Amino acid sequence: MNAPLRKYSRHKRGRGVAAAWYGIARTATIDRAGAWAELDDGGTAKIITGVTEIGEGILTVLAQIAADELGIRPQDVTIGDNDTARSPEAAHAGATRQTYMIGNAVALACREARKRLVKELAHEWEIAEDDINCSNRMVSTVDKSRCITMSEAVDICKNKGVVPVGSGSFTANHTGLDPEDGSGSPWQAYVYGAQVAEVEVDTETGEVQVLGVWASHDVGRAVNPQGVEGQIEGGVVMAVGQTLMEDYKQADGYPSTMNLAKYILPTSLDVPQVTSAIVEDPDPLSPLGVKGIGEPSMIPTAPAIINAIYDAVGVRIHSLPATPEKVLAALRDKQKSADSEEMQAQSF
Amino acid sequence: MISNQGLTMASFEIQMTVNGREVRQPVSPHLRLLDFLREELHWTGSKEGCGAGECGSCSVFVDGVLMKSCLMPVAKAQHTEIETIEGLEEQGKLSVLQQAFQKMGASQCGYCIPGMMMAATAALKTNPHADREEIKERLGGNICRCTGYQKIFDATELARDVMNDKLPTKTLEEETEQESYIGSSSFRLDTSGKVTGALKYAGDMVMPQMLHMQVLRSPFPHAEILEIDTSDAEAMSGVEAVVTCIDVPGIDGFGVFKDDQPVLARDKVRYVGEAVAAVAAEDLITAKDALKRIKVQYKQLPVLTKPEEAIKTGAAIVHDDVPDNIVMHIPIRKGNVEKAMIESDYVIEESYYTQPVEHAYLEPEAGLAYLDSDGTLVIQSPSQNITHHRHKLAKILDMPVNKVRMIMSAVGGGFGGKEDMHYQGILALAVLKCRRPVRYVFTREESIIASAKRHPFSINYQLGLNRDGLIQASRIHMLSDAGAYNCSTEGVMRKAAILGAGPYAIENLMVDAIGVYTNNTPNGAMRTFGAMQSQFATECHLDLCAETLKMDPVELRRINFLRQGDETHTRQKLESVSMLEVFDSALDISQWESGISNSRGATRSDLGLSGNRPPCTLGARQFQHETVSAGQSA
Repeated sequence: MNAPLRKYSRHKRGRGVAAAWYGIARTATIDRAGAWAELDDGGTAKIITGVTEIGEGILTVLAQIAADELGIRPQDVTIGDNDTARSPEAAHAGATRQTYMIGNAVALACREARKRLVKELAHEWEIAEDDINCSNRMVSTVDKSRCITMSEAVDICKNKGVVPVGSGSFTANHTGLDPEDGSGSPWQAYVYGAQVAEVEVDTETGEVQVLGVWASHDVGRAVNPQGVEGQIEGGVVMAVGQTLMEDYKQADGYPSTMNLAKYILPTSLDVPQVTSAIVEDPDPLSPLGVKGIGEPSMIPTAPAIINAIYDAVGVRIHSLPATPEKVLAALRDKQKSADSEEMQAQSF
Repeated sequence: MISNQGLTMASFEIQMTVNGREVRQPVSPHLRLLDFLREELHWTGSKEGCGAGECGSCSVFVDGVLMKSCLMPVAKAQHTEIETIEGLEEQGKLSVLQQAFQKMGASQCGYCIPGMMMAATAALKTNPHADREEIKERLGGNICRCTGYQKIFDATELARDVMNDKLPTKTLEEETEQESYIGSSSFRLDTSGKVTGALKYAGDMVMPQMLHMQVLRSPFPHAEILEIDTSDAEAMSGVEAVVTCIDVPGIDGFGVFKDDQPVLARDKVRYVGEAVAAVAAEDLITAKDALKRIKVQYKQLPVLTKPEEAIKTGAAIVHDDVPDNIVMHIPIRKGNVEKAMIESDYVIEESYYTQPVEHAYLEPEAGLAYLDSDGTLVIQSPSQNITHHRHKLAKILDMPVNKVRMIMSAVGGGFGGKEDMHYQGILALAVLKCRRPVRYVFTREESIIASAKRHPFSINYQLGLNRDGLIQASRIHMLSDAGAYNCSTEGVMRKAAILGAGPYAIENLMVDAIGVYTNNTPNGAMRTFGAMQSQFATECHLDLCAETLKMDPVELRRINFLRQGDETHTRQKLESVSMLEVFDSALDISQWESGISNSRGATRSDLGLSGNRPPCTLGARQFQHETVSAGQSA
């Protein structure tokens, strides 16, 4: 959408850019995640893992990964999750770790379950295991001379007395930091991001509107591109809130922003249009090549906006949030020093 | 949330229609419509996010008009027709708008979605041809913390076009049967439960014999607890148990990196809002009344609120075992910074500050705990770290780890804020004392004062550069407020230190990240874990340096970026670095115009291109409508 420029008005436009990087999974310590898989009746599958979905869409991501590994569809996958007494440890939702850690654990578990199934079929068909394919809910020989449904394949396997189950444990071999100089390998996988922000500053009120953000992020491999975009858009807007309005205030230890009337959050009218670009630089050290996006999406936004404000009106805001009061005060200071320079120039 | 039970207040008979069903029953006049729907009728699709009409999660239709049910006394809804999120499905099929939300991936945690869905439905009912800007205005009373709203706008526009026959119905369907599902935008498995209100969050759950818990919190930032007298509260009818720190059977203390926080305050309180005692009672009103009868004698202590004061000799001490108040200091040292600074053509210095930030997940904390038939303690709560919480609770309760079962209930937004075990321990103590299920639901105010925030940072930045723009040395000193407890401070300092200098190749480096105890609300894990604060400083500082050097800020970054084979600040050799590719991609999609100065808004020609939204103008639509109606009357 083109936003017409308001030229020669009190509204000034500007653009800023910023880059960022981030490490995937737990920092400077070994990270691990486990999962169990079962190819189930009807050609469905169960994935059991202690994953904790917090809204980012990890359950869907895991179902997609399992679907690809097993040759079925995401909707054929049932995920049993988030119960310490019923599922293997997959640890926490945080550190942009779940797609990377648990995604790889699920892939490993599925590979084992699939191998168990394929072994029985290879025996049944008297061919090598490598000559069997699982895709589109069908199990077939490479030359397609035999082709049965996944449902039938599971039946055959079970009739031979074997339940096609598997388990997977994925490890990220991170090392601690040296206490003196900080050296170490805190992560195996790093991601990079960059964003451009365009703002309009009202020079009479100091109000800043972020009109557009262009965000480019390396995520390794995007399992669900729409979900990745959702994380980028959400991260950008959370950062817009921190950059322009959010401020948890306390006076002498007493909080004064105790509700959402006092603690101001971005609404639908405050948010920029976000254009995302997904860059895929697969992680060379893990089975799937996936990395992550949850946290890094919000890192470049604040400095891109602050740099854009400077581009627009020539004032640098060094402390967040850049409230209208703060921007206006900076504009007045700038005007004052410009005036005094002019006065000095005239006095010579 | 207020319950009808245990009330002596005169009730009256309410008559209304809810989602097409006649309702006629006695009700207490103090209830809000939201309480009546959720607690009495068990239509839990409508959510409470703030209880003050700010967030819109509780939005319903009253006689077809969009209303916030947390602001409406139930008596006001007498003889009305109520429609909630559960009433939107058409013959058991998702409405067009619900399907559009599914198609566009418009729900993430889902907690705001019932209210958002009602508001979007109302928007298209009011104006079936509403454009994107009007849709935004009509959703302006509903807060979403996850999605950034964009996919919600997209979904509403898609539904509008399908309803107006501008797009075929099949646009709403999923593309199925693919060769590979990695790389496809498959529908979220959990969407239908989120767009229909069917998904239960912890605060929506009930169990037979369930008790309601309330927590007494510290009114002081720093005070010694001289005495807690719970006898009056315990004597109250309807009170099953009062718990304090003396009820902890095992080793008290939780935290993500260090167990420095007691389940309930022990000997002293360290911040306003710290949990001191809790009551489990038959109903919420009794539990709240009982809190008032707990007598706590405090002796106020000197209060520390500024990290720079807290590290001075002779400052008050927040935790006795940490006399210097320093929670964690992470240093990074590489090369010879002193020498490199002296030899640099430019040394540019500036200070930066970032504020504490509230996670503001739309779902306030909540939990339901009970004992399984085999004596296993079960806690259902939106915990982001069930594995860790199980270990901590087993130690605190002196129970075998497999007798503590943590189930993560649907999480209505986390962002790191639900990694801390702020209330699960209290619920556990109450359940073990009462041997009955206990539920605890935070108000928004409790959620804000009791839970951890994003760490504020004060950062002093010195960068040494040569005339050509190559960075010679970086010295970054970060001082951060941990607040009253460690929470994730250690990890936040570590990540801030490791990543703070940014994705640049720097030979000489001296970084310090120091987290300090004060008597402020604790600061803990929040999305980026210190990396956004530290890199905010770096990226602002680079623009400042570019100006001094009269360089293009884009070029300055480009020549300093980490490349394949480079060593990081912690001397890790990188195998694959996509930084340059990612950076160029961002410039490309934004059609960025290069240039030397970075204060050239007035002259640059890449402004106002596609990818921007129109700026908001006060009263824009109002004036537009007036113009239209004036034109019509003329």
